[in-house]
Amino acid sequence: MEKNTFWKMFLVLTLVAALCLPATLFAMEKPNGFPKRPITLIVPYGAGGGSDQLSRAMATALEKVVGVPVKVVNKPGGSGVAGLSDFFMARPDGYTIIEHIDDAATLYASGVIKESPSEVWYPACIAQIAFSQIYVRPDDKRFPTWEAFVKYAKENPGKIKLANVANVGSMERVVTSLLEDDQGIKLTQISFDKPAERYGALVGGHVDALFEQPGDVRPYMESNDMKPILTILNERPDAFSDVPSLTDIGAKFKPLFRFRGFFMRKEVPEDRQKYLEWALKKAWNSKEFQKFNRKKYMHLINSYRGIEGGKVLVEETVETYKKMGVKK
Amino acid sequence: MENLWIGVVALFSDPIALLLFFAALIAGLLFAALPGINMVTLGAIILPFTIYLEPAQAIMIYGVIYVSGTYGGAVMAILFNIPGSAENAPTAFDGYPLTQQGKSGLAIGAAIVSSSLGGILATILMMIAAPTIGRWAIHAFGPPEMFALIFFGVNVAASVGAETFWKGWLSVMLGLLLACIGTDPAGGLTRFAFGTYYLLAGIHFIPLILGFFAISEVFVQAEKMVTRKYKAPKVGLVFPSVGDFWRMRVCIIRSWILGFFAGVLPGIGATLAAFLSYNEAKRWSKHPERFGKGELEGVVASETANNAATGGAMIPLLALGLPGGAITAMMISVFMIHGMEPGPLIMVRAHDLVWELFVAMFLANLFIFFLGYLETKTVVNLLRIPFRLLCPIIFILSTIGSYALRNSLLDVWVMILAGIAGYFLRRTGYSVAGIILGVILGKIGESAFVKAIIMVNYDWLGFFGRPVCAVLLLGGLVTLGWNVYSSLRKRAAT
Repeated sequence: MEKNTFWKMFLVLTLVAALCLPATLFAMEKPNGFPKRPITLIVPYGAGGGSDQLSRAMATALEKVVGVPVKVVNKPGGSGVAGLSDFFMARPDGYTIIEHIDDAATLYASGVIKESPSEVWYPACIAQIAFSQIYVRPDDKRFPTWEAFVKYAKENPGKIKLANVANVGSMERVVTSLLEDDQGIKLTQISFDKPAERYGALVGGHVDALFEQPGDVRPYMESNDMKPILTILNERPDAFSDVPSLTDIGAKFKPLFRFRGFFMRKEVPEDRQKYLEWALKKAWNSKEFQKFNRKKYMHLINSYRGIEGGKVLVEETVETYKKMGVKK
Repeated sequence: MENLWIGVVALFSDPIALLLFFAALIAGLLFAALPGINMVTLGAIILPFTIYLEPAQAIMIYGVIYVSGTYGGAVMAILFNIPGSAENAPTAFDGYPLTQQGKSGLAIGAAIVSSSLGGILATILMMIAAPTIGRWAIHAFGPPEMFALIFFGVNVAASVGAETFWKGWLSVMLGLLLACIGTDPAGGLTRFAFGTYYLLAGIHFIPLILGFFAISEVFVQAEKMVTRKYKAPKVGLVFPSVGDFWRMRVCIIRSWILGFFAGVLPGIGATLAAFLSYNEAKRWSKHPERFGKGELEGVVASETANNAATGGAMIPLLALGLPGGAITAMMISVFMIHGMEPGPLIMVRAHDLVWELFVAMFLANLFIFFLGYLETKTVVNLLRIPFRLLCPIIFILSTIGSYALRNSLLDVWVMILAGIAGYFLRRTGYSVAGIILGVILGKIGESAFVKAIIMVNYDWLGFFGRPVCAVLLLGGLVTLGWNVYSSLRKRAAT
């Protein structure tokens, strides 16, 4: 009887060890035991928004990889600026990272911040790269299609009101002006800082169109309160095969993306930078995080970048914004 | 009725849900009672843990916290002039003077009854007609109407607690000026930021409220102690009678309607509900001069409205997936954490969950009445603590509250500066309430205005082409004109 138990135990332990083996093989060694204490993840936007949702999903996945708690701290204000002061005041030891989006490139290109988001601080991981679409109300008889939309806009210059989150020089403004020039139309852009007001304005009939990413308005498409009439991508993604893309409408500009990632400062020791990149990638690849990202339509285009890829993405975006003549 | 039954069964058949209900109710009350640390802080703390709960339980907790937290802030506002959060600030305008007159029981009693009443009525309406009202509200109220509503509100605001009409307006203007600091809501341009990241984000109103109300009050009372004029407020245990409420019935109904609809509009919410309804109470009162000096109607108006707004705020959230404030935004996160997409279909897809929430919020409002009654009997005794001991406690709590907002020490400095400025402004007859109003209404009003003016193609007359907007703007202009006229006449008479 006793022997039997022993073998059982032996078997179980061997199995457990065998199962652990791949994990230990692929697990990166912690550089000098980093991280030992909780990691702070600053989110420079409010609770409940896209950045906050992403950060909380990532924090949960990341905790399992690094084995210490990851604390999400919201610091909203000034289109992503408020959180930066804390980020730059904290010690560059890798224990403080910040979530940021393409606004970082805008802020730098327009001179609001002095620290280059591809040199002084840069992404350890880009976790979401999202394309945008133009939405209208499905019951709007004036423009059921993009064609009709352009026709209407040409006949009534400036009459179509487009809601977005556009600060001067933000991705939305730049893409919209590229689109206007390309199609020879003139729209009136109205900036709504809060998502709730932005969506309410379209559904409630106070604006005519909305510039947004599909992951954020999925429920409104499902309830038939909004419908996309243009995908701002060169090709049609599977999920939106019936919506025209830039190629279809003959547009000749490179689409810009909304990206969201996790940034660290360049002063963080190299081995810790490598570790953070590895850990975030592993968390990004985890089943639960992938499930989250799929729901946000992030599987339609490759939405992961590491340190090098991330730097290139940010740098390119800054260049484009500067070329567009984004000024203070 | 059947739906109601589903909700009741869901809540009462699950002992854990029931336990969570009471925990949330009491936690909401406690957190709201501490200055600065309010229900939003509590909501943020428990957010990561909701993943371990059933979705219905998690959502229900937030509903209950919202209800009890909105009421809970009133007690500290009345007793110590420390509004726990912005939506209780108008409660302090008259609640604190009442305490100093030894009528703390009266004020707290009125706050409990009106909170509970406002909340119960709002949850009933929410149960009956959530989707219809939600759709109607977003169609009827666009940015131009929001702006007009705030313009209408600001006009009465100017005369709250100031010596003269002109000093009142100067106070509001100072508030509007403070609201300008930071990034503008239209193009993201920076104003008065002086190259610092802190100012770029704008000055938050929580440290300002704590500074202007709590800290300046500490200074004022300290001065009285030094000059030996200090008299401890008497502990009042007289409660308002049914007759008192019957006399204020018009005010209660008006505040309830205002509060409910302010809650329904995304971006307006409980704070504005309380301020607007306080303003209207004053506008229609036979004795507007009593407001700010201890008028019970002021407390009732503010508390009815902010609790009515909690019911209202659930409507755009559940009917359309549009959160109106911090707590409702967190509820969106809770939905997301549990893999549900909040949106126009949530009432169909998560039918039972929604009804459990409705029932929980209804009961929470009911329990406030009983808990509040017990609380009153005990909490007014805090006034027996000698002020020299209370003073540092208020100071420390306010400091923690300011810091906890964004984990920023600069917010604490803002609070202290606001406290010092508030002390001198109050001595010279300016209104700190007016300043706070200016800051809060200024931020929302400007954001609505920049959108509205583009919508009407930069044509001012365009505002009058929208009926709701026109009525509100004209109402505001008439009030302004009348106030200017009467204060000029008063000056000519003296």
